[in-house]
Amino acid sequence: MIKALSFNMRLLAHHELEGFGGIGEGMALQQTRDGRRILWLAHEAAPKNFTGVDVSDPRAPRVIVQTDLPHAKMRSNSLDVTGDVMAVAYQTSDVGMKPAGFDLFDISRPEQPKRISHFDASGPFSRGVQQVWFVDGEFVHMSSGAPDFQPRFPEDDQIYRIVDVRNPAKPLDAGRWWLPGTREGDKEPAPARLDPRIATGYRVHNTNVFPERPDRAYLGYIDGGAVILDIADKSRPTVVGQWNHSPPFNGFTHTVLPLFDRKLLIVSDECVRDDGIDWPRLVWVVDGRNERNPVPISTFPTAPVDAFIKRGGRFGAHNLHENQPVPTSFRSETIIVGTFFNAGVRVYDTANPFQPQEIAYYVPEAPKLARSGTIQLNDVYVDEKRIVYTVDRHAGGLYVLEMTV
Amino acid sequence: MKRDPLAGRIPIILITGFLGSGKTTLLGKLLRHPGMDHAAVIINELGDIAIDHQLVASSSEQMTLLGNGCLCCTVRTDLQETLRELFVRRRAGEVIDFDRVFVETTGLADPVPVLHSFQSDGLLGAQYRLDGVVTVVDAVNGMGQLDTQPEAVKQAALADRIVLSKTDLARDSSALVSRLKALNPFVSIATAVQGEIDPALLTGLSPGSAKALPAELNRWLGSGDTYLGKALEGKHQAGNHDASIKTFSLRFERPFTWDSLNAALQALTALRGPDLLRVKGIVNVSGEPGPVILQAAQHVIHPPVTLESWRDADRSSRIVFITRNIAREAVESLFSAVGALTSS
Repeated sequence: MIKALSFNMRLLAHHELEGFGGIGEGMALQQTRDGRRILWLAHEAAPKNFTGVDVSDPRAPRVIVQTDLPHAKMRSNSLDVTGDVMAVAYQTSDVGMKPAGFDLFDISRPEQPKRISHFDASGPFSRGVQQVWFVDGEFVHMSSGAPDFQPRFPEDDQIYRIVDVRNPAKPLDAGRWWLPGTREGDKEPAPARLDPRIATGYRVHNTNVFPERPDRAYLGYIDGGAVILDIADKSRPTVVGQWNHSPPFNGFTHTVLPLFDRKLLIVSDECVRDDGIDWPRLVWVVDGRNERNPVPISTFPTAPVDAFIKRGGRFGAHNLHENQPVPTSFRSETIIVGTFFNAGVRVYDTANPFQPQEIAYYVPEAPKLARSGTIQLNDVYVDEKRIVYTVDRHAGGLYVLEMTV
Repeated sequence: MKRDPLAGRIPIILITGFLGSGKTTLLGKLLRHPGMDHAAVIINELGDIAIDHQLVASSSEQMTLLGNGCLCCTVRTDLQETLRELFVRRRAGEVIDFDRVFVETTGLADPVPVLHSFQSDGLLGAQYRLDGVVTVVDAVNGMGQLDTQPEAVKQAALADRIVLSKTDLARDSSALVSRLKALNPFVSIATAVQGEIDPALLTGLSPGSAKALPAELNRWLGSGDTYLGKALEGKHQAGNHDASIKTFSLRFERPFTWDSLNAALQALTALRGPDLLRVKGIVNVSGEPGPVILQAAQHVIHPPVTLESWRDADRSSRIVFITRNIAREAVESLFSAVGALTSS
């Protein structure tokens, strides 16, 4: 058994989520009207849809609701909460299946989430929605297929879509953008594929929009790199700037997190292969002073490669805490928290952007039933009190930590 | 929100002692203490300290993990290298997640090498901080050593905490205590009988967080009459060697500017660096949200750290000086002259 490793982080609680401890990349913290704090988690795979955990006392998390998916060939993976409304993504394992899209739920009574509406994104070439970003109560920004979108390559099926949910009972298609050349019929040539041993496609992963710049969307476009869009007119997003480290790097840009005051972008990759096959998957610091010309200036120091790369499962960057513009979210222009699969959750100080420092980490011991024999921390959410919630991809469930940095 | 400049760094405690002071006995007992879980102890020679093999959980050439969760290791080439290696191996999960490091020094209380390595070595400076200096003083022979050994006087003067050992063997240690207090009025004194001491008394010597409370700062700078445990009394009496060591605290009511503080410290270190055994203080610097923690020794000035806020009404600066033959008046007049020059 590999023992837990910690530096400037303390484990407050661990919850296996009633035996369904495989969580995707949807985490949101609701402050209820009666004063409770409910952490909502989207499961990584069927049979469970989402779980609500009462974390009012972070040392004693309590599951208050856990829901099932309609069938096993789909997953939710992603969710977001604004006020008492929760958006939950649905992605199917194959094209042409349903339900593929997202649901809006009324969670004013968290024990009994009530579906308000369903937005259908299914189609002959669509697997539905991989990720949702919903922080203003008005628009869902997402990575999704569409009924009328046919990609040239099947793995380029998820495009950036904006859905107007100001009337949550009637979500409306508000806009979309895809990398030119990836749609069947585009006049632009298809972008050159990366090395087939590591190529994962030209589609969007995270789609972040913040109140500081409501006219900008920050996209992680997988093998297409980081993309900054002008969305002042949501019906016609246009490219402002792009940056792609690949080739020569290995693609899979996941999150583009802007630090507005400092004009920096923190860009994370996602490791998607076990045992270091797609190494290195990193977190990059990009100078964003000129949006049209983002320039990489450093990478986060990696966990000791020799110690982790063959330890089992994935090793490398994945999700970052995204400075969600909601009252229950930690927001920092310098401290960045991310998950790195078998290397746990790690905290970096970017005060000197040319030389980010690792200032804390926690690597839980391998969960019981872990198929890789290691922890695979998948996503992280940090609350305004600096409590860190992080989840295992397969079995371990929820880990609640305290940062002492 | 920003990083706490103190809380995220692993504290280092230097343990020194007069010859035959019982430092080795103390370290030996310390290694076995249940309160040493997650502590690392760097010693010079493992052979000096008898470790019962039944207490050893695992062992390699240089490192021994004890059953109580304490990691004991011997110095490799030098302290800097050992501290680096410990941290690197900690990250890789090869050694325990130690959260404090005790370092046995070879009879020298001097924090300069450690402070200097924090400055010159980016990794060390980013991950560690100096908590303070603990000096073990022998209650039986301490007085004689202070009389005959200038180095012993220096060790006592530099200490943030003095551990008085062998008090069970000494008939009366009040004269020694008085002398130590005269030498170093800012120190707090704890006692150890047969090397037994609560490890908690050897840590928390300096502020451990930017949220440090006034009580913590006062404890660090010393109120002049701090005892831990049993109060020990006596009249202040200076010995022959003691006269050259000057220990005093200056208080400044007017805030400094970064320029004036910098200029005063630069002038002092340039003129009398080698005689500036230790400087520690909390300083009010204009424009900073809270007190600035100052640490220096000889020519090395540790990068200052600003605390989050002032937590009481007293906004004056307090700086403790431990010097060799630099009089209080000289430092005072230097600071006021620099203050006058930089404010004009």
